[in-house]
Amino acid sequence: MLTYMDVGLSFKENQEIVRLLRRHPNQLELGLFGALWSEHCSYKSSKPLLARLPHEGRFVVQGPGGNAGVVQLSYRWDLAFKIESHNHPSYVEPEQGAATGVGGILRDIVAMGARPIALADILKFGTDDKSQTLRRGIVEGIGDYGNAIGIPTVTGTVGYSEVYDANPLVNVLAVGLRARNVHVGADGARPGSVLILMGQATGRDGIHGASLLASQDFGEQTEEMRPTVQVGDPFMGKLLMEATLAIVGKGLADAVQDLGAAGLTSSTAELAYASQVGLIVDVSQVMCREPEMSAYEIMLSETQERMLVSIPLDKLKETLDLISDYELPYTEIGRVVEGDFLRIVKGDVVLADVPTGVLVGGCPRLPIPSDLSTLLGEELLEEETSIPLNPEWGYQVLGHPDCRERSAIYRRYDSTIGVRTVWGPDHDVAVLRIDDTDGVAIAVCAPARWAAVDSTAGGIGAVVNALSLVATQGAEPLGLTDGINAGNPDKPQAYRRMAGLIEGIAQAARVLEVPVTGGNVSLHNETRGQAIWPTAAIGVVARHPHPLSPVLDQVARPNLRICLLNPPKVSRLGGSVLQEILGITGSYPRLDLAGIKSSLHVLMDMAQKADQAGLAAVRSIGLGGTFVAIARSLMTPSRNVGVQLNLPADSLVFDLFNEMAGQWILYIEPDFLSKWEDACQARGVRLQDIGITTDSPDIVIKGGRTVTWPLQELWHAYRQGGDFIGR
Amino acid sequence: MSDHTAQPTVGIIVFPGSNCDQDTVLAIQALGARAVVLDYRLAELPPVDFLILPGGFSYGDYLRSGALAAAAPIMDAVEKSAASGMPVLGICNGFQILCERGLLPGALLPNPSGEFICQWQTVRVVNAPKGFETMADGTVLRLPIAHHDGSYRVAEGQLASLFEHGQVFLQYSDDKGGAHALVNPNGSVANIAGVSQGSVVGLMPHPERAMAQYLGSDDGRGFLAAWLGLRGNVEC
Repeated sequence: MLTYMDVGLSFKENQEIVRLLRRHPNQLELGLFGALWSEHCSYKSSKPLLARLPHEGRFVVQGPGGNAGVVQLSYRWDLAFKIESHNHPSYVEPEQGAATGVGGILRDIVAMGARPIALADILKFGTDDKSQTLRRGIVEGIGDYGNAIGIPTVTGTVGYSEVYDANPLVNVLAVGLRARNVHVGADGARPGSVLILMGQATGRDGIHGASLLASQDFGEQTEEMRPTVQVGDPFMGKLLMEATLAIVGKGLADAVQDLGAAGLTSSTAELAYASQVGLIVDVSQVMCREPEMSAYEIMLSETQERMLVSIPLDKLKETLDLISDYELPYTEIGRVVEGDFLRIVKGDVVLADVPTGVLVGGCPRLPIPSDLSTLLGEELLEEETSIPLNPEWGYQVLGHPDCRERSAIYRRYDSTIGVRTVWGPDHDVAVLRIDDTDGVAIAVCAPARWAAVDSTAGGIGAVVNALSLVATQGAEPLGLTDGINAGNPDKPQAYRRMAGLIEGIAQAARVLEVPVTGGNVSLHNETRGQAIWPTAAIGVVARHPHPLSPVLDQVARPNLRICLLNPPKVSRLGGSVLQEILGITGSYPRLDLAGIKSSLHVLMDMAQKADQAGLAAVRSIGLGGTFVAIARSLMTPSRNVGVQLNLPADSLVFDLFNEMAGQWILYIEPDFLSKWEDACQARGVRLQDIGITTDSPDIVIKGGRTVTWPLQELWHAYRQGGDFIGR
Repeated sequence: MSDHTAQPTVGIIVFPGSNCDQDTVLAIQALGARAVVLDYRLAELPPVDFLILPGGFSYGDYLRSGALAAAAPIMDAVEKSAASGMPVLGICNGFQILCERGLLPGALLPNPSGEFICQWQTVRVVNAPKGFETMADGTVLRLPIAHHDGSYRVAEGQLASLFEHGQVFLQYSDDKGGAHALVNPNGSVANIAGVSQGSVVGLMPHPERAMAQYLGSDDGRGFLAAWLGLRGNVEC
């Protein structure tokens, strides 16, 4: 006999169910509620906070609530895109956990009728021995799925900290392309239509994945959770993707919903709720992999590679012929009727019958505490005002795991399939060609250290960081997607940190006027009471004005002026890689959003016509600060150009290593310097001329005493880490 | 058969799990040839002048990569056409399938690292096979590789015979054309990246992904144009 606790519900929630149903739920119904009222499916702790995010924008076609957000790219194309997390499964079973994360977000994009064209991974790993094993498995799993299904991984980010030892993060962004005249989602099902479940036969894998695995902290019993992880099959995923896109392309379905967390339960309930119809689902018609599966198991299985489509009767034959042509298993499992309920039957016997308004819409939300704004006040840790430079720090910061070269990971992902990748993972921003006129810039970031103390500052920084990256291309941002990862929301401190993070994202997105069209929240990233840093994974898609000729991010010529665009008035090291190396904990500064907004405008205008602006190269400043941005811009294959910088000695460390986002390093043809000065002056933006490129391959700082970093040694640090032997 | 001098017709075979078929169609069309997608269930081929087995993970690489597709219905017809001299090109998974079918010598084993590798690679033309006459031996091409099972191996004693019979088509090389261990990405014997047998050719790199400078290289365009017998300037 199951109790509410067995399905992950609280006593209060159980009371609420009884009140709303005016009866006690039966065992199967209790299972349905356990899944849909879980943190993972209901967003009960975060939803009121997420309401603070801006969702409206000029290019928004579909905001949050669907399987993915959709924005308009051009008069021909829309883009569907979203970040999903698969953190808990990836810790329990790294390869399959990560692989099914990729499969899951791809199905979300496909369910919007869009063909996936790009993937990006946002990964956070711990630093202990076990984390090495986890990292290998997670990278392998991501590659296994993405490579086989044939979607290129075009960008990504990876970070390391001991706070992720027992809670690695696997967030995946997928981007899909949809013709502008296609509109499909979960909300169009009409009475009379037939429900077809196609793909993998349903097995006993992943039962309670949403309610128990993803919605609770880890403890000693995590090992026992392994059966709650699903197993992915990219081959079936590929067939399912092609069949679904063919069905949508021919206009055969009135609604499509993929099966992800909580399997058939959430897909049927959400389709019914979104379409405002009733559904009758016959579990005896569901294909099962194993005999004697109970209705409970069938409804809660999280078997991968399944899609639910609602097909009007007159299009049924054509649809079934098409599915058969792909040799995909399928059955008719139910039908759409007038009403507002989900009814589970087995032949003539009714097993469950609940109003979707209660099942999907009834979950009590955690109200925002009335004193939240006071709780989110700036957390400022004092930092020193003057530190003498130790040149060794240059190598240590550039060689820090968060800054150094990462081809060992990304070359295990296919980045060239699809023949759209103009810039792939060896750059900070991906550039994709769509057709003769259209292009997309995609960037992701997750600067978690910035949120370690003041999570609001970190949330602001993450959004600014992502937008600064696409601005280097003169690309117009169309929309943002956010992956929120945090600890146990029932604990006041973890809740406050999550709330601060979301508030920071909301503030930045509002001021910079870029809508958030969807995302994901993963809570309970906590093991034995140790929570991760609140981590925002931000993805942005932007319209690239000239995708066949990206604005360069490296320099190969001497005598270019080097300028800082929008350097901070006061540079602070809070939350930086250098601070971590020095063993200091500091709070990331709250950025001046108004100033950044003006700078973004200047850069966008100039980078759209980079030739006419004498812009030879540009890099956004982020992790590792100006020093890392400059060093990386010199890492050309020949590495024959260096820089000479004139920076004041007293603030040198702050100028080189502060990570305040929303500033850029520019390499400008000398003749064009005045043009930039005029453009900046017109918008009140600071432009600081700091030096010149030289034909001597090193970074030289003049000002006080001369400091020199030979490029060859920087290259070794970048390739092999900051503590490499032999320097 | 269509007229060679006008617009050659290229049949591109799609197996379940193929994923480079559309990229290959685009490449062929960009060269001004006609591309026809052929279903793996066909027992006979429609009139085509060339055949390509594109890359991908046919049948999910289950059993061994290429093993199940090698037994697909259409492969009987492919074998027959190859015997009568039709040019057949296998790219990546297509190469694996042709080896599994016995239409090309040797086998492709998992990379010794056990890892998938995606990177740009230079390869040298060792012996231009039938159909590639316009491509000079020693030409160095820049093409991407993207595979998990690309380690080319032959039976003991077979390697010398491959070289003697001019069947070694491409070798992984440095950008000057030097083939040595440092530039061997996957432990292939003698750095072999592509081989031929009669009118059948297979290679691991992806020429269809190197059709324009903005993608990183346009050497694949020259490669495919040479195979199709299209000389001179090819329009975009």
